[in-house]
Amino acid sequence: MYRKQVRRRRAILALLIVGSFALLTLTYGQGSNSLQRGVTAVFAPVSSVLDRALKPARDLINWIDETFDARGNNRRLEEELQAARKQAVGAKAALAENAEFRKLLKFDKSGAIPEGTEPVTGRVIGLSPTVWFSDVMIDVGSGEGVAVGNPVVNGDGLIGMVTAVTGSTSQVTLISDHSSHVTVRVVPAGVQGVVTPTVGEPDRLSLEFLNSTKKIHKGESVVTAGWHSEGFESRFPPNIPVGEVVQASILEQVAQERSVVRPYADLRNLDTVQVLTGGGH
Amino acid sequence: MILTPKIVVRLLLVGLFGVLLQLTFFSQVALFHVSPDILPSLVVCFGLLGGTMTGAVSGFAIGFLLDCLLIQPLGGASLVLIAVGYAAGTFRERFEIHSRLVAPLMCAVLTLAAELGFGAVEAMFGIHASVSVLVVRDMLIKSVFAFFLGWAIYVGMRRLVRPALVDEATVRRTRRPTVLGA
Repeated sequence: MYRKQVRRRRAILALLIVGSFALLTLTYGQGSNSLQRGVTAVFAPVSSVLDRALKPARDLINWIDETFDARGNNRRLEEELQAARKQAVGAKAALAENAEFRKLLKFDKSGAIPEGTEPVTGRVIGLSPTVWFSDVMIDVGSGEGVAVGNPVVNGDGLIGMVTAVTGSTSQVTLISDHSSHVTVRVVPAGVQGVVTPTVGEPDRLSLEFLNSTKKIHKGESVVTAGWHSEGFESRFPPNIPVGEVVQASILEQVAQERSVVRPYADLRNLDTVQVLTGGGH
Repeated sequence: MILTPKIVVRLLLVGLFGVLLQLTFFSQVALFHVSPDILPSLVVCFGLLGGTMTGAVSGFAIGFLLDCLLIQPLGGASLVLIAVGYAAGTFRERFEIHSRLVAPLMCAVLTLAAELGFGAVEAMFGIHASVSVLVVRDMLIKSVFAFFLGWAIYVGMRRLVRPALVDEATVRRTRRPTVLGA
């Protein structure tokens, strides 16, 4: 009797493990499937309601975290830096009520959003809980015209790209995810390079240069390059602000310049975002 | 744990609510730049209260729902959480839980193991970026959060499934009857 029970338990465990591996093999790299679309369609409204209901509590905890974080920082310098950066990317801070939407509107009018793209505004309704994935769920999907490959921005700059879509939700892979690579240009130096993330440090991106003849300096802005070449083109349209160079160094062994870029967008604290739909990207 | 239909429904609701709460609340708050992850703790509690099979099945179900809602490749989170639930269940079946610290400690240790497991699953398909040592710090802080949150989850779940717990039933049976007039 006991042996039979043990055998049955082992069989269930083996079934679960084999099932997990099978699911992983079948669904890896395939975006969303009908099962996921169905589940998200059912739970997206619930998530949305919960998300709004829990916002005050979230804000309170995040405020505590920010208060800890702010100790030792020079507040005035921080504001001046922020103001200078915003001027450089052609936007002005809108610090009245509904700051998120005002920032998005400002971003829209700054010329950073390319012509031919239609911004669709969404809210973040879920985040990946582990330190390894940098994905967020937003409450707009193919029903609103969102498609896989659309760039996603917030009022500060580029945050990522849509990598899976259902009818009412989308998965956005952030620029801090290990699978992300963004071709960028440093302004005003004009040097082009590729921004890659560092897993575990979302506020630190690595910028590796494709050509290192020109020098870049701390404080310079990094925007998307948006290149075109013989039928190929970058997934991101040009001139979307990405971040600011905070550290530049030359690696002598390989005679290559590598810099550290701090993204303009606070990737740990996302709320309202815009998906740039259309535009052929 | 005696799994009656009523208890199964309660467990399903707890799992469902846990996943939704994780995605809409815990993943979006940060203390010391780290978001708590309650799902491994939830699975640990299932395992500690129900044994290996309850732990493994709940780990699979919670991981599956998480992957569905995040539109990630299905099976990755399930694989890790099955191991977490099974490990917690094995502990429960082999050792007597006397101390109140066992559940939170198990939550902390197995949350750390789960984070390493998520990393291993991701590494299986290739990590195309440099990995910062801060990942270790983040994982350790997550397991500290899991200690405290696991405590609360365990107490709450124990209360919720009390009628189904075998040891609670034993305690009730062995209680002396009240004798009137004695």
